[in-house]
Amino acid sequence: MVISAKDGLKLVGISIVCFCAVFVCTFFLNFYLDVLPLESEVGEQSQAIYKAQLATAQMCCGVTGGVLSIIAAFLLAFYIKLYIDGHATTLGTLKALGYSERRLAVNFCIFALAVLIGCTLGFGLGHAFMPYIYEQLAIDGITVNITFRPWLIALLIVAPSARFAALALSVARVAPRRSAIALLRGGAESAKPSKPDVKSKNRPFLTEVAFKTVSANKLLAFFVTFSCFCFAAMVQMGIGMENLISDGTAMGWLILSIGIVLALTSAFMSMTALVRNNGKTIALMKTVGYPLAKRTAAVFLGFAPLAALGFAVGTVYQYVFLTLMVNIVFANVGEVPQYGFDVGALFITLAAFVASYTAIVALYTFKLNRTSVKSIMTET
Amino acid sequence: MIKATSVSKTYNNGKVEALKNVSVDIRNGEFAVILGASGSGKSTLMNMLSGLERPDCGKITVEGTDITELNEKQLTAFRRDNVGFVFQQYYLLPHLSVESNVKLGADIARNKNYMPIIDALGLCDKLRAKPSELSGGEQQRVCIARALAKNPKILFLDEPTGALDEKTGRAVLDCIMREKTRRGFTMIMVTHNRNIGETAQTVIEMNSGEIIDTHAVSRQKSAYEIGW
Repeated sequence: MVISAKDGLKLVGISIVCFCAVFVCTFFLNFYLDVLPLESEVGEQSQAIYKAQLATAQMCCGVTGGVLSIIAAFLLAFYIKLYIDGHATTLGTLKALGYSERRLAVNFCIFALAVLIGCTLGFGLGHAFMPYIYEQLAIDGITVNITFRPWLIALLIVAPSARFAALALSVARVAPRRSAIALLRGGAESAKPSKPDVKSKNRPFLTEVAFKTVSANKLLAFFVTFSCFCFAAMVQMGIGMENLISDGTAMGWLILSIGIVLALTSAFMSMTALVRNNGKTIALMKTVGYPLAKRTAAVFLGFAPLAALGFAVGTVYQYVFLTLMVNIVFANVGEVPQYGFDVGALFITLAAFVASYTAIVALYTFKLNRTSVKSIMTET
Repeated sequence: MIKATSVSKTYNNGKVEALKNVSVDIRNGEFAVILGASGSGKSTLMNMLSGLERPDCGKITVEGTDITELNEKQLTAFRRDNVGFVFQQYYLLPHLSVESNVKLGADIARNKNYMPIIDALGLCDKLRAKPSELSGGEQQRVCIARALAKNPKILFLDEPTGALDEKTGRAVLDCIMREKTRRGFTMIMVTHNRNIGETAQTVIEMNSGEIIDTHAVSRQKSAYEIGW
């Protein structure tokens, strides 16, 4: 009624994250289950590799599945909040008419459709890639037969979709807890008087606008930081993986691809929301006569330190993660080389990072420049 | 009967006094107009009487129920069972057709017989149209139909003709008054247009958050008899 299936399909970002999670979990879980009974067939010398591969499959399944599920949950909550903010008057009208919060919240279950689509695609493609991955992970030349397990459909498609429908319902029950009149006015219940900002007096105007843009979009700030974190961590991890495990190229590419997809998905989602939230500020600046460069800086520049922070944390995280993996998971595998910080990978990732994010900002700058003042000012 | 006793409301931590000790009585089936300039507190009073907002202090009873004592869930149920709203900005759901927008009101009140209302408001030929394809007057009629489809005991209207030109405004007002006569619900309309007061039974005039005058109208005029 309030939210159409079309709205549910707009959550491409969540579909992509769920796709990645289920894609990885499908073949690693299936591989683990297929390889587990083969212990007796693996020779004495290959036992360590066999155990390491079981551990890798477990870890990839757990870490990737777990982390990506958390990310998808964050994205879903983030999108619901954006949706509620963007449709405050509609929700306010319905509340005024007498629709209960519970009845309105039920509508948000449709957002789980994005999860269902992502999981189904991930499951299907996971199975399609399985022969290739099995070939890469073969131990001692033993042929591992692929077994199709129907119960994995329940575990990797039905259960996540149901869980996310429940999550959407819970978030939607809490998020619009404003009175009907506050929603109709499109604002908060009763705006608290803001504290006088002494520092702002000393800042140049554009710096002040950039600063306020960040402080008014804290959730977006988080996603920008997260996007850069993903990029730095997973690209460097992907490169580092190649040196760590035998036939690590496939694994490296897999991690690298997932990292790039995740980073770009969250970057595009945050940028779209950022441009939409700040449309009026930009339009006003355009009307007053600010050049494009200054308008762009007012919106994007404030996020640059956060992007740098995300990159730095991601770099440290991947180093700590791989070090722990070498020391704990592969402790018994003699052939694993000593892992050290890869400066070359850092510079390659940094260059790719700067190029990608500059391109994204340029793309949105172009989009901003093409949007007419009238279209922004007249939108309700 | 709607009875407000010593109702006050402030905003911004008490800096803005929207209502100051306001008391008002409105009988069942009465048509009352709350009149006042922008910022006089008329919309705030309407929001209080309809259960959209809570007063800081004072008491509001509707048919003997103190709505200031109700929690959010009970207030929602109160609005569902008793109240219809017509807003100046219409607040129609843009992606829904005229019929679905009206059904939105009918649905919550479990009223399956909403087509006669659409017919009475002259919207039969626009059933499949989206709000963006309608004129302002038509959109307002959809908003009225949505409110009436709930079979409300009390209809609240916030500047229903405020965004309309004279001709359309009169037509919409006439439409509202016809339905009021036919159905007999209590009607409370907020307006800044003094002439509209002449169509009501009671005029409550407000200024700076206070009621400055309440008077009964000796002869109710129709929407086409008043000035604009």
